[in-house]
Amino acid sequence: MASKPPTGHFNVLYFASAGSYTSKQVEALPAPLPLKDLFGALESRYQGFRASVLDNSLVTLNLTYVDMLEGDEDESSAVIIQDGDEVAIIPPVSSG
Amino acid sequence: MGPSSQLQAADHQEEDDGCFVALTEAHLDIPAIMDRVRSPEAGAIVLFAGTTRDNFGGKPVKELQYSAYNPLALRTMLVIAREVRAKHGLKGIAMVHRLGVVPIGEESILIAVSAAHRQAAWRAGEEALEECKARVEVWKREEFGGDEGGVWRANRDGAVGQKVAEPEGGDGAKVDQ
Repeated sequence: MASKPPTGHFNVLYFASAGSYTSKQVEALPAPLPLKDLFGALESRYQGFRASVLDNSLVTLNLTYVDMLEGDEDESSAVIIQDGDEVAIIPPVSSG
Repeated sequence: MGPSSQLQAADHQEEDDGCFVALTEAHLDIPAIMDRVRSPEAGAIVLFAGTTRDNFGGKPVKELQYSAYNPLALRTMLVIAREVRAKHGLKGIAMVHRLGVVPIGEESILIAVSAAHRQAAWRAGEEALEECKARVEVWKREEFGGDEGGVWRANRDGAVGQKVAEPEGGDGAKVDQ
């Protein structure tokens, strides 16, 4: 759905309340970025984003859900978001 | 992607062995989804049609709008269809969700299941819907009109959704004096 990010970047897709908060549907951020630093990077761009949206959202990396819980040294701290990746912020869903 | 006879180019769909899932901005077609699951081995088709309500907890809703993470929503819908089909021994299952603005009173989701006997079809239809509402990456925004603005609904708490943060007049939009 989103065009490819420029070289050296990854796309972040903002759905529902995430899109309303950032006033964007997609944005390219510099890669690589450790996954554990993602929320911090987004919070620094959009003050209050974490408490309002991110802490209640799930995250996908290339269409697969990833664990954002801190303190899991084996898992989340090892994942690096790479050039060309697609990350998405998934607020609580409301189909039907 | 499967064959898209009467579907528009903007539509998205996937098919797999007795399972059909789709997202569309068009009106939902009830005879078409029933034909997707029709089978000479079936003794029952159960169809669920979810329609858009004109209020939330008594508060008037002017308009509803759905958006989706299309590839992930389709993938999740197909996972649910496969799970429910296997669990209940269905002959077929089809799920279609409408996106974009859906006027009040129109169908936003259709689920059709076919089974040899009605009991399995009733149960499977309900389970497929509940799984969709819990898991599929689709979001509903309710517009209240006037100064109220809109909210993004969240199925998991069913209570108040998140107020839509409007860029103008918000925290970050200071006007130089």
